Amino acid sequence: MDDPIADLLHRCAAQDRAAFRALYSSTSAKLMGVLLRLLRERAEAEDALQEVYTRIWLRAHRFDAARGRGMTWIITVARNLAIDRLRARPEETQADSDDHFDAVADPGPRAESRLVALGEARRIAECFGTLEPDRAKALRGAYLDGLSYADLADRHAVPLNTMRTWLRRGLQALRSCMDGQPT
Amino acid sequence: MSIDDTLAAEYVLGTLPHAERLAFAKRLAGDPTLQGLVRDWETRLADLNADFPEAAPPPDMLDRIEARLFPAPPRAGFGLRLWLGGLGLAAAVLAAALFLPPLFAPQATVVAVLGAETDALRFEAQYDGAQLHVGRIAGAPPPAGRSHELWIIAPEAKPVSLGLIGDQGLSVEYPALPKGWTLAVTLEPEGGGPGGVPTGPVVAAAEITL
Repeated sequence: MDDPIADLLHRCAAQDRAAFRALYSSTSAKLMGVLLRLLRERAEAEDALQEVYTRIWLRAHRFDAARGRGMTWIITVARNLAIDRLRARPEETQADSDDHFDAVADPGPRAESRLVALGEARRIAECFGTLEPDRAKALRGAYLDGLSYADLADRHAVPLNTMRTWLRRGLQALRSCMDGQPT
Repeated sequence: MSIDDTLAAEYVLGTLPHAERLAFAKRLAGDPTLQGLVRDWETRLADLNADFPEAAPPPDMLDRIEARLFPAPPRAGFGLRLWLGGLGLAAAVLAAALFLPPLFAPQATVVAVLGAETDALRFEAQYDGAQLHVGRIAGAPPPAGRSHELWIIAPEAKPVSLGLIGDQGLSVEYPALPKGWTLAVTLEPEGGGPGGVPTGPVVAAAEITL
């Protein structure tokens, strides 16, 4: 599969600084967009962007093209850093919920099947359409806006643990749909 | 869904509360099965990435990142290069000749030893009139996933990062030796203290003397 970002990452892993510049110019606007949306503050997003490219350079050797696309990998690096920062904000570390796993039914362990190619999984847009609209909205709010369980519970006016149960059911339904498993 | 698969989904989604997220990340580092579950969720949710809008980073951002990653800059600084650009080619060539590195490298002097003789981990700072070089002279490299970061601290000022100290040490262009300032090495997450501020313990420090 043609993946120019993956090629650039491989060259970065070989300490190729020209490849790093090329990678920056083809990905920095997207990563700045990711960080701005999640962190919501320009100064912090800019600061995080420096950190993200530092990590990309230092960890490029860990990227494995057999396991996913280059762009997905670098957006994951950026999202992880932004989410780490969001969850570490002082107002959030107070709000940990009690965890109850019994609320989510477990259909049993799944065979060791990795999602080798995204093409084989059903597209997420199609599967979001099968979720209850509120749950789909909450999942998108968490992924794209970095909303915590407390934020989501506020927005949807439900208790924190109810929100967590909801979201877990949503994730489970999403997985069943995308992997083509019966719910 | 198994408990681990649920946690992997919440980790990727970003909703795991702080303490759980830290605990999960710790397990993740050494657990290939968990890594597989996380990767699957990253793949499943990756289509949502299309909804992130693009936004222009500041124009000097790449320079800032490169200065941080590759801390030994070319001999002519940015301002000097701009100035040269206005002088025309002949003058530029002349100036470039003046700024060529000297044929014989000047003698480097030890200007600080970071850590006492009895400490397991020690660094030495040398200065040759143009470059400050800091390298580890005793002790082990940082553990996996961590970096040794070098900071310079002017009196009454906040620490400024000079970069990461690798196996070859770290060389930084320094026009004049900042005597009386403090050099400190901290243990940071891989890639350096997030946000350009030290977050880890100081593993060695010393004042620059001559």
